[in-house]
Amino acid sequence: MGLWDSLLNWLRSLFYKQEMELSLVGLQNAGKTSLVNAIATGGYSEDLIPTVGFNMRKVTKGNVTIKLWDLGGQRRFRSMWERYCRGVSAIVYVIDAADRDSIPITRSELHDLLKKPTLAGIPLLVLGNKIDKSEALAEQALIDQLGLNSITDREVCCYMISCKETVNIDIVIEWLIKHSKTVK
Amino acid sequence: MAQPLVKKDDDRDEEADYSPFLGIEKGAVLQEARVFNDPQLDARRCSQVITKLLYLLNQGETFTKVEATEVFFAVTKLFQSRDIGLRRMVYLMIKELSPSADEVIIVTSSLMKDMNSRTDMYRANAIRVLCRITDGTLLTQIERYLKQAIVDKNPVVASAALVSGIHLLQTTPEIVKRWSNEVQEAVQSRAALVQFHALALLHQIRQNDRLAVSKLVTSLTKGTVRSPLAQCLLIRYTSQVIRETGVNSQTGDRPFYDYLESCLRHKAEMVIFEAAKAITELSNVTTRELTPAITVLQLFLSSSKPVLRFAAVRTLNKVAMTHPMAVTNCNIDMESLISDQNRSIATLAITTLLKTGNESSVDRLMKQITNFMSDIADEFKIVVVEAIRSLCLKFPLKYRSLMNFLSNILREEGGFEYKKAIVDSIVILIRDIPDAKESGLLHLCEFIEDCEFTYLSTQILHFLGNEGPKTSDPSKYIRYIYNRVILENATVRASAVSTLAKFGALVDSLKPRIFILLRRCLFDNDDEVRDRATLYLNCLDDGSVTETDKDVKEFLFGSLDIPLTNIETSLKNYAQDPTEEPFDINSVTKEVKSQPLVEKKAPGKKPTGLGAPPPAPTSASDAYERLLSSIPEFANFGKLFKSSAPVELTEAETEYAVNVVKHIFDRHVVFQYNCTNTIPEQLLENVTVIVDASEAEEFSEVGVKPLKSLPYDTPAQTFVAFEKPEGVPAAGKFSNTLRFSVKEVDTSTGEAEDDGVEDEYQLEDFEVVAADYILKVGVSNFRNAWESMDPDTERIDEYGLGPRESLVEAVNAVISLLGMQPCEGTEAVPTNSRSHTCLLSGVYIGNVKVLVRLSFGIDGSKEVAMKLAVRSDDVNVSEAVHEIVASG
Repeated sequence: MGLWDSLLNWLRSLFYKQEMELSLVGLQNAGKTSLVNAIATGGYSEDLIPTVGFNMRKVTKGNVTIKLWDLGGQRRFRSMWERYCRGVSAIVYVIDAADRDSIPITRSELHDLLKKPTLAGIPLLVLGNKIDKSEALAEQALIDQLGLNSITDREVCCYMISCKETVNIDIVIEWLIKHSKTVK
Repeated sequence: MAQPLVKKDDDRDEEADYSPFLGIEKGAVLQEARVFNDPQLDARRCSQVITKLLYLLNQGETFTKVEATEVFFAVTKLFQSRDIGLRRMVYLMIKELSPSADEVIIVTSSLMKDMNSRTDMYRANAIRVLCRITDGTLLTQIERYLKQAIVDKNPVVASAALVSGIHLLQTTPEIVKRWSNEVQEAVQSRAALVQFHALALLHQIRQNDRLAVSKLVTSLTKGTVRSPLAQCLLIRYTSQVIRETGVNSQTGDRPFYDYLESCLRHKAEMVIFEAAKAITELSNVTTRELTPAITVLQLFLSSSKPVLRFAAVRTLNKVAMTHPMAVTNCNIDMESLISDQNRSIATLAITTLLKTGNESSVDRLMKQITNFMSDIADEFKIVVVEAIRSLCLKFPLKYRSLMNFLSNILREEGGFEYKKAIVDSIVILIRDIPDAKESGLLHLCEFIEDCEFTYLSTQILHFLGNEGPKTSDPSKYIRYIYNRVILENATVRASAVSTLAKFGALVDSLKPRIFILLRRCLFDNDDEVRDRATLYLNCLDDGSVTETDKDVKEFLFGSLDIPLTNIETSLKNYAQDPTEEPFDINSVTKEVKSQPLVEKKAPGKKPTGLGAPPPAPTSASDAYERLLSSIPEFANFGKLFKSSAPVELTEAETEYAVNVVKHIFDRHVVFQYNCTNTIPEQLLENVTVIVDASEAEEFSEVGVKPLKSLPYDTPAQTFVAFEKPEGVPAAGKFSNTLRFSVKEVDTSTGEAEDDGVEDEYQLEDFEVVAADYILKVGVSNFRNAWESMDPDTERIDEYGLGPRESLVEAVNAVISLLGMQPCEGTEAVPTNSRSHTCLLSGVYIGNVKVLVRLSFGIDGSKEVAMKLAVRSDDVNVSEAVHEIVASG
């Protein structure tokens, strides 16, 4: 039967191609571009230059094509995040969990972004990155400090990951595929 | 259905090239631009929408800030498409929209990715856009890629990087200058376009370093430039180097002339033309140097390509102004161009012929021109009219046929500018050719009988008033003038009244009749006309006024020597706070406020890269005259005879830059010191020049006009005036000291401190020499001019000039000693010749025409002997010229 199933899946993928659009935002040096690389190729590189503006990547996972808008995290780009989050399937908010000092800033930037009326109802995936470092926050502490529980108008999910050691990247991809839209 | 719009379309039926975008609207297109945000992009559709947006922008449509931002961000989303055509449109759109710096930075990363992509089209265009939006900090990040791109093997990419370098040089020269090695490598590229752009950039990098430019030209003229466009650039740079180095005084050879000459045999027409043009524009070009260039231009005249014919005839037209003899060979070719389909070519051909033709060919040419005038546009007609005017001044004997021609075309249809050119020409001819006066005035009278231009009518009436009374039979003009009073509008009527009054004032026999006419004007329905008539009747009626005859004439014919803008402001002030006192015209300042003198820009600083060579400096004598007459202290010195070229009194790049212009009057000289303060932290006040004239005995100081304030980088003048014996070419040496008080300026606020410190600054000495008293005035035909002078005024003598370096040096020395105009290109001495004749002409102080014929000979031991023959209107002047040479 397994053979039959996979054949069916393949046929379905021909007719029901799935597509999704994501925006990756978060402060500089949180690991957004690294996450894109991890999702696309599984590779990791230490010496990435800061993103000036945005990178656009298309990744195909199974029968899902994911368009990734990887946005620069420096202050001068933050006002422009909203323009690239409009109409996406989900907003992925990446946080350097090991940089405890920047948590208050990242919290306020996140809540400012979610207040925008154009982005109402878009699912949010919060990712605490760099858990390979010893000083990284635990998941519950991160949820509390970011005030994620106060967000009630949309679906919110939080995972702890490490792009460097490829921890939990698979469950991120799984979550993303679940939220993709079907197009004909 | 007779709407004007429909009719217009009917008119243009033949040219059915409608743009497919005609009539699209901004609002609708902006709506369409929403497709950029679709999740499923239609690349073709997006490209079309961008094309429409670009069309709108190019038609001058503007987007509001919000619209532009909205479109820009939508366009950035198109980076997701991999469609090459669409990506190109995206690049164009980003460049065209040029959003603010804080927004455009969002595409940086995407462009950097494209710059390193494998698609050459992406790379080339991404480089162009990136360099357009980049700032200094970002540039250092991408510099490495740009350097690589310059030497990229794909010519499109290399060109893009080079052109970007040319743009960046304006904003961040220090970075671009680091790319010299790569650019130099690109100059050797096999691709024509790359070589062209690389050469342009390399020259711009080095343009401020004369030696480097000279080296560049030296190495490249030896061969390896393949691209015709680059070759053209090289020719321009070569001419620049030639301009700066001058003729080799040893051999009389011009450096690089051989290179220019070899380019005349290039296979690309544009190179041939560029070289020919460069040769014709060489300063003091000799006939020998000119001949090969004229020969190739002559070939172009019969080319099948209109652009070549045009280029050639235009260049020859310019050459004809300075070397009419050199162009005569082409006359037959040019005569066939008169019937050229392209009217620009025909006009240039005809005006060139008018310049080169001799007296005998004038009549034949005029016949041809008459046929040709009816089918050219007004602007060309103006060119022809101006050419005819100068022809008439050159051959005064031919004035009859030329004046007839002018009056004929004056009667034909034509616009204002054209008619004005004709009228101006006739006026000039009347002034310069006494014989032409009566017929010219009658032509003008006939013209105003049927003239639709108020301005021209009033101008002619004014001129008639000045010239008419002095003719043999003034009464014949009265009818024409009085007709104006009956038939024309109020403005013309008023000036006709003034003209009548002038006749009345000057011609006693006409006075009673003029009175009758003026009295009739008292019943005119226009205030101004009545006022004028009343005023003139009172002035002229000797019984009732106390004013003397002289005052009346002064009033009628004198001109207002006060700038109108000054009167205007004074009257406004007067009207604002009314007083009992009447307005006093003497209280109006005569000084011209604006800065009429255009300071000559330092040569070489202007980027000559792809542009034309810098134009020759224009004469400033009119501006000088206006400036001096506006200064009351100097106003009674009479007419300005000559102003010298500025003489630098300071080294370049000193604190204060000062040069002096020597203005020569009949009984005075005025030194105009042009001062520039180059220190931002200083404000100079009460600037004067203390002149020590102890070595100039015949001069005595009569006036000083100090400069009140001299702020940073704003040139201004101070003057010193001297009296000298009348008509004598007094010479002397003057030493100068700049005296002023300095105030410190806070550069951040621009405010000066209150206390100034007195200071002095030593300037260099200068001399007033005999040449300052001779005006350079050329004659077109030296032989005719020489023979028309009285042989009795001729003075001949021989001089030994001693050992000289070369004949050229001796000739130049005598020319500059006399300060006269060399005629017919005789200042150029052929190489290796043992003897030479040089012809000079000029006007000596007191408006005396002088012609000089110099014959030089040089012997084996480089001893130069000279025979000097002078003819002039005044024997004393002939002797004075000999004195100058004898004492020089």
